[in-house]
Amino acid sequence: MEKPFILHMLTTAKNLSPFDVNMALDAGWVSALPYINVEASEVQGLVQDAIFSRSAKNLKRTGIFIGGRDTKQAMDMLKTAKRSMVPPFEVSVFADPSGAFTTAAGMVAAAEHELITKFNTTLEGKTILALGGTGPVGQAAAVIAAQAGAKVMIIGRQLEKAQHVADMCNNEFGDGKITILAGADADKAEFMKTADVVFATGAAGIELLSAELIASAPQLKVAADVNAVPPSGIAGVDAFHNGTPIQGSNSQAVGIGALAIGNIKYHTQNRLLKKMIDSDKPVYLHFEHAFEVARDYMKTSR
Amino acid sequence: MQKRSILHMLDPMPNNSPFDINMAMDAGFEVLMPYSNVKLDSVYRLTQDTIFSRSPAGIKRTGIFIGGRDLGLAMDMLEASHQAMVPPFEVSVFADPSGAFTTAAALVACVEQALKIQHGKELKDCRVLVFGGTGPVGIATGIIASLAGADTALVDHLLLDSAMDVAKAFNRRFGCTLKGECARTEEDKATLIKEVDIIFCAAKAGIQVLSSEVLKAARNLKVVGDVNAVPPLGIEGIKRTDAGAPFANAVNAQGTVAVGALTVGDVKYQLQHKMLQLMLTTDKPVYLDFREAFNKARDILTEKK
Repeated sequence: MEKPFILHMLTTAKNLSPFDVNMALDAGWVSALPYINVEASEVQGLVQDAIFSRSAKNLKRTGIFIGGRDTKQAMDMLKTAKRSMVPPFEVSVFADPSGAFTTAAGMVAAAEHELITKFNTTLEGKTILALGGTGPVGQAAAVIAAQAGAKVMIIGRQLEKAQHVADMCNNEFGDGKITILAGADADKAEFMKTADVVFATGAAGIELLSAELIASAPQLKVAADVNAVPPSGIAGVDAFHNGTPIQGSNSQAVGIGALAIGNIKYHTQNRLLKKMIDSDKPVYLHFEHAFEVARDYMKTSR
Repeated sequence: MQKRSILHMLDPMPNNSPFDINMAMDAGFEVLMPYSNVKLDSVYRLTQDTIFSRSPAGIKRTGIFIGGRDLGLAMDMLEASHQAMVPPFEVSVFADPSGAFTTAAALVACVEQALKIQHGKELKDCRVLVFGGTGPVGIATGIIASLAGADTALVDHLLLDSAMDVAKAFNRRFGCTLKGECARTEEDKATLIKEVDIIFCAAKAGIQVLSSEVLKAARNLKVVGDVNAVPPLGIEGIKRTDAGAPFANAVNAQGTVAVGALTVGDVKYQLQHKMLQLMLTTDKPVYLDFREAFNKARDILTEKK
């Protein structure tokens, strides 16, 4: 008899996200078990308990998901999990803290899609502002875009914090091969003069970019907003926008709203969870793989 | 429609062990419910909530598993759960904290078998050391070996008092005759192993406890058994797949054989699987701990032959 699919879901928080639980069960995992308040030091023990209780063949039907809210913690846990494997006792691991990796991947892939289809260009060399970019989605989006060749600046209310986050993104997630800059929110009017793409990833209900700044941006092409709760993070971009022209933009910029991004995020997370099941060899999935899958989804779904 | 089978998994720790989750699922339980940070005084209520929500037919497809890392606590919880039953509202309960009961049962049974085959001896003829003797698997190994008649000492790597305290506490509880020892240095280890017949290594994964240098001190060593599957293994020169294979590093002892972690793991796996399945198939509720585990581990090895 075939063994049931089991996904062990680790989080540093005191609960799993019901979003991830639904996603896991819908992707084909038969059982999704929570492990809460997990500390970094516990990951090796949990992983080795998971791998030594099934045969190598049935480990293909076993996986580990890493949630939580902190991107660096999740990436560290993913690395620890990978190091804890004892081949052939090895399972796939997927990190998606706060759903940030798949959300960011969906947003960047959607923005790239608009650049290609409406402006006949790519992310390469574009100037991108990640407004409210110090959180998990902003960090992941900044890294993904920078790895795709964009010049990215993380904008936060406190420059010092933004700088700290940018440094962490460059060193921890980009292996020192990318250079994300940091800027203060107070200076964003200046930055908007050269911005091609804007990502709004701040807290829900805060307007990060006003109609005036949109109107005065000379080369803005795409503005994407992950916030689904009014008021929207970018004036003139609502949750339903999906490559929709932004009223009042003098550079013919288009908007991408939370529902369009959410749709790509949903398919991306679904495919990554399925990839853990379908893959013949164990896979270790994070924001880079999320972006690959999101890009692929954009190409094949339209 | 037949009710789905449910295993309520009680754990005093913040999380269940993924090992037990995989095992429970693979044994046929359809729904697993984790209960974490469970205190001993909650067990009575949790048990009664379990038994009173299904008909006597339905509760045959319901079980309680007790995990954690503390053997004494797990046994207390098993007892508390047993006392909370109100026949015919009664379910099977299986305690296996850290998998220690099934691992220890498998380890001792495998070593016992090798001892019989290679040396024609019984556990009651032997002096036994358990390294990593104050951890869950080590303690359970010691208790089982001692109850089987072996002269058994638990070895702690830091404090003699820890080993003595543990030995005393479990002697009182289960009527065994454990001793406590401490081995902080290579010299300590060499002195301890000089005359013993059996060495169990139940120390942490990935830590070598006995080097080939130290093993030279052993003169009577007949069987070594190790549960550590993560290199470096607990005993230098042992192979994970050893199943009574000659052990070359005890150069001053005659005919020493080894039992490796995968051999033990294989029996442990079958054992835990059988015990979980028994909870689903038994007509009368069963209460399972290390004693039942050791009996069943012996059965598994006898059937294999």
